[in-house]
Amino acid sequence: MKNKKIMFWMIIALTIVAALIIIKKPTKLGLDLVGGSRIVLEAQTTDTIAKITPDMMSSLQFAIENRVNALGVAETLVQQTGEKRLLVEIPNVSDPAKAKEFLGETAELEFKKPLDGKYGATGWISSGLTGKDVKKALISTNPGGQWVVSLEFNDKGTKKFGELTSKMVGQSMAIFFNGELQSAPTIQEPILGGHAQISGGDSGFAYEEAKKMVDLLNAGALPVPAKIIEESLVGPTLGADSIAKSKTAGIIGIGLVMLFMLLYYRLPGFIADIALIIYSILVFAVFKIVPVTLTLAGIAGFILSIGMAVDANILIFERTKEELKAGRTLFTAINAGFDRAFTSIFDSNMTTIITCVILYFLGTSIIKGFALTLIIGVVISMFTAITVTKNFMHLLFGAGQLKHPGWFGIKQSEIGKAYEATETKKEKAKFGILD
Amino acid sequence: MSETVLHQHKWIDVVKYRWVWFGLSLLLIVPGIIAMVYSMINYPTHYPVKVGIDFTGGTISQYSVKKDVPNSEIGNLRTKLINAGVENPVIQVLRTNNTISKAEKLNTATVISVKTAFKSNDKTAEQKIANVITADYPGAELVQVSSIGPSLGKELFVNSLYALGLAFLGIVVYLSFRFQLDYAVIALISLAHDALFVLGFFSILGIFFDVHIDALFITAVLTVVGFSNHDTIVVFDRIRENSRFLAKKATFPEIVNASVNQTLARSINTSLTTLITLGALYLFGGETTKEFVLAMIVGIAIGTYSSIFFASTLLDWWREKQENKKRGAAA
Repeated sequence: MKNKKIMFWMIIALTIVAALIIIKKPTKLGLDLVGGSRIVLEAQTTDTIAKITPDMMSSLQFAIENRVNALGVAETLVQQTGEKRLLVEIPNVSDPAKAKEFLGETAELEFKKPLDGKYGATGWISSGLTGKDVKKALISTNPGGQWVVSLEFNDKGTKKFGELTSKMVGQSMAIFFNGELQSAPTIQEPILGGHAQISGGDSGFAYEEAKKMVDLLNAGALPVPAKIIEESLVGPTLGADSIAKSKTAGIIGIGLVMLFMLLYYRLPGFIADIALIIYSILVFAVFKIVPVTLTLAGIAGFILSIGMAVDANILIFERTKEELKAGRTLFTAINAGFDRAFTSIFDSNMTTIITCVILYFLGTSIIKGFALTLIIGVVISMFTAITVTKNFMHLLFGAGQLKHPGWFGIKQSEIGKAYEATETKKEKAKFGILD
Repeated sequence: MSETVLHQHKWIDVVKYRWVWFGLSLLLIVPGIIAMVYSMINYPTHYPVKVGIDFTGGTISQYSVKKDVPNSEIGNLRTKLINAGVENPVIQVLRTNNTISKAEKLNTATVISVKTAFKSNDKTAEQKIANVITADYPGAELVQVSSIGPSLGKELFVNSLYALGLAFLGIVVYLSFRFQLDYAVIALISLAHDALFVLGFFSILGIFFDVHIDALFITAVLTVVGFSNHDTIVVFDRIRENSRFLAKKATFPEIVNASVNQTLARSINTSLTTLITLGALYLFGGETTKEFVLAMIVGIAIGTYSSIFFASTLLDWWREKQENKKRGAAA
């Protein structure tokens, strides 16, 4: 009983902290709800690229999408417009200035050989090894304590780099990023392990500089250079009235669900309603901490996750009712109800979590947001629907007998007639059943 | 064990009428499949459902207007455009005071941007939009029209399908670990049953009522799949539990029947609470989410049906076949 009281106050404290977070931290709302920035990028022709083809545009779109995702810019929209332009819409919350800085960068990495066969005093020539051969870039420090960018080549890159360095022992190899010479170390011996390092010359990189290069390299180079040609503030796609309507609808819906629970399950239903309020507060607090950029899809997902939270309670209460009808004492019926319902709640939620994790890592932007809100919802619902409800029920009913079956929505006459569970010895001990 | 568990009144004998349920499921799914095949052959996009601007792209038209447009007017403008025959327009208000392009420098403060699924050379469609906007905002001027590509292109769509396939594989592995392989496969079949029904339903709506789906629809189908799986697992969990205690006293069909009936109140109540929320969203929510909500209402209804009548009876039928095979081999 003492433990249960401590638990109770911990739940209350957690809810208060969550409520404070909700009040203090601003909500991050998506493009459809509050708008953001619209940036138009135009693909540029160069000496080597005479004409922009549709294929180039789709790989440019893909690269830009990768790049905004790598930046953690949630819920960004990238669309082709006209023949050689991309329209990028970024929600306000994601620091458009930073995003802008990244969008226009080509992120072209090139390894070059010296023309004079030694230091490149007369110029450099392409070696055929580029950023495309890089599997992964990491930020690290060299023995001198300077920030460097470590590269890991893919299989093809490892082979190319190995061959090049074998041939070029004693010569310099220059590393160009966006056309600028970064460093030109002299090759001491063949490098076959597929790793290389870019140091920022004598002065080294500033941390931000190295970090930016790593982010850009990991997101991939743009297949064609692109320039920002237009930038404007963009309003939400959903009108204020539409948002207000959805809010009202959500409140009506949740209110009706709570009323249903109260009427059908009576006292336990009332406890489930309180658990549901705690659930909503906790979920919103986590949304703000992560932070989750809320779009209309996310909000709809949240309302639906309430359905899943209620489901757990329905499962438990139905089970408790069955146990009560079988003539169990209140205490054992509650315990057995929770315990028996647990496997189905756990298994069904686990499959949801597995699905969401896979969708989160592989899905596209809109699916990612949905998966994230659902994972948060499901995990928290396991806590509120099981731990919180059970705690409240035990505190309220103690170890007492069922004096008022009506509180549980069952009739006295139904008791002892219906379902009869068969317990193992272990279960009997666990639920506190006395033969 | 008791008579009370295996023979109560108010008992649905799901196993006895299994051919009715299998027949009903076919009846529910086949028309949708036909519609999807028809759509894939006949639509220029080759999608099984009629897809909107998110999948096809279209045109973006920008009108500069002389006064500021508050957000509260967007809903109104949207309704007027739809009434004029412009489908699913996406309206946004731009403030272009920081336009950096010299060539397209806009002196006006406010631009209304309308994305629609029209092709950019469709002059009559363009005129419809222009009429509505100039009626509400006199002096509005078309400053830019250009084509716009899909935000959910085929490549992304296919990638998402791969992700979904992998997720399904994850479900099968988990369920065969926690239950048994046949439970897992049947849970997956029942899940496909529900997803196919929803897709087919919208395919038919697309053919007869010109309903287009958008990117949100994918989220709706995912939700339905999640819910349907929840429902099926709850019933299977009960079959698993009852099998443990009743295996020697009751036959498998009896266990399936008992399990379905024991979970019936839960199945109906859970779906009911979710449908209450969705119903409120459908009736009182914004226009833009109507189809999204409808997809979920349809999906949750079919998910409840399939978990009660389809998945459980299919499992029983499969077990019976296996049993017969074993007996045949023994004899």
